Amino acid sequence: MAVRTIDVRERVMARNDELAAVVRQRLRDAGVPAFNLVSSPGSGKTSLLERTLETLGEELGIAVVTGDVQTQNDADRLARRTERLVQAVVTGGACHLDAAQVTAALDAIDLEQTRLLFVENVGNLVCPASWDLGEVAKIVVLSVTEGEDKPLKYPKMFRMARYAVLNKIDLLPHLDFDLDQAVAFARQVNPELRFFFTSARTGEGLDEWYRFLRAEARAPALR
Amino acid sequence: MHELSLALEVCRIAELNAAPRPARDVRTVAVEVGEDAGIELENFRFCLEALLSGAPFAGARAELVSLPGTDLRVSYLEVDDGRPDD
Repeated sequence: MAVRTIDVRERVMARNDELAAVVRQRLRDAGVPAFNLVSSPGSGKTSLLERTLETLGEELGIAVVTGDVQTQNDADRLARRTERLVQAVVTGGACHLDAAQVTAALDAIDLEQTRLLFVENVGNLVCPASWDLGEVAKIVVLSVTEGEDKPLKYPKMFRMARYAVLNKIDLLPHLDFDLDQAVAFARQVNPELRFFFTSARTGEGLDEWYRFLRAEARAPALR
Repeated sequence: MHELSLALEVCRIAELNAAPRPARDVRTVAVEVGEDAGIELENFRFCLEALLSGAPFAGARAELVSLPGTDLRVSYLEVDDGRPDD
């Protein structure tokens, strides 16, 4: 048998990047900025969203696509805080969301009635950094019960993110966590990173977060 | 951690490019792995070899080359074209 060589030269992420570009255009046309919320498991992404939906869900017309490896628990938690649509994606083992899943989830969301979209990624600081979902920006959530050096351990994620939320600050008095050091490490890998300091439990620091979201929902076209 | 997803996508690209020959006629799948692509090479090799050993493939060889850069790219395939040797 004769063996023939076929030139391929195809990037493996090409299909995801094409789908992400379509998502980005679709959201831009609808005037809906999307934020891709990433963190390790247990940093408080869902709690932050619960608070945010309670306070701003109606005012800003916030829709959420939330991904989990198994269960719809996060989607159920969020749906209790808003009348608006929360779309669950169960990845069935995959460690990240991809643009095809977001594309399918968007079909269920009425973008006409939406002014801001959150995509809550699977809790993981490694893989989601490699998958563009068509978002305006990634927001990385870090909690004070984690190590200050997480930004150095997972530099790609902190480099890819434009915003960082340092969560659970109500616990600071009980911990040895060095907040300034954590911020310094993060800025070492990404000097542009803008920080929010929050407690999704007590509500501390959320006013600034809400101000930011209001401004984003108002002026999506300016980006 | 996502090496299996990437290996699956490599297989999809290989199957598509082998056509009209069936995937079982693919002998080699050559992949360039960027050093900054966030991919653990040996883990990726394990996943890809496992996938290529089963249907619709039939034991194609994974040829991995590590290169500078961030891209993961399928560079070429070697496919049995079904014709007798020249």
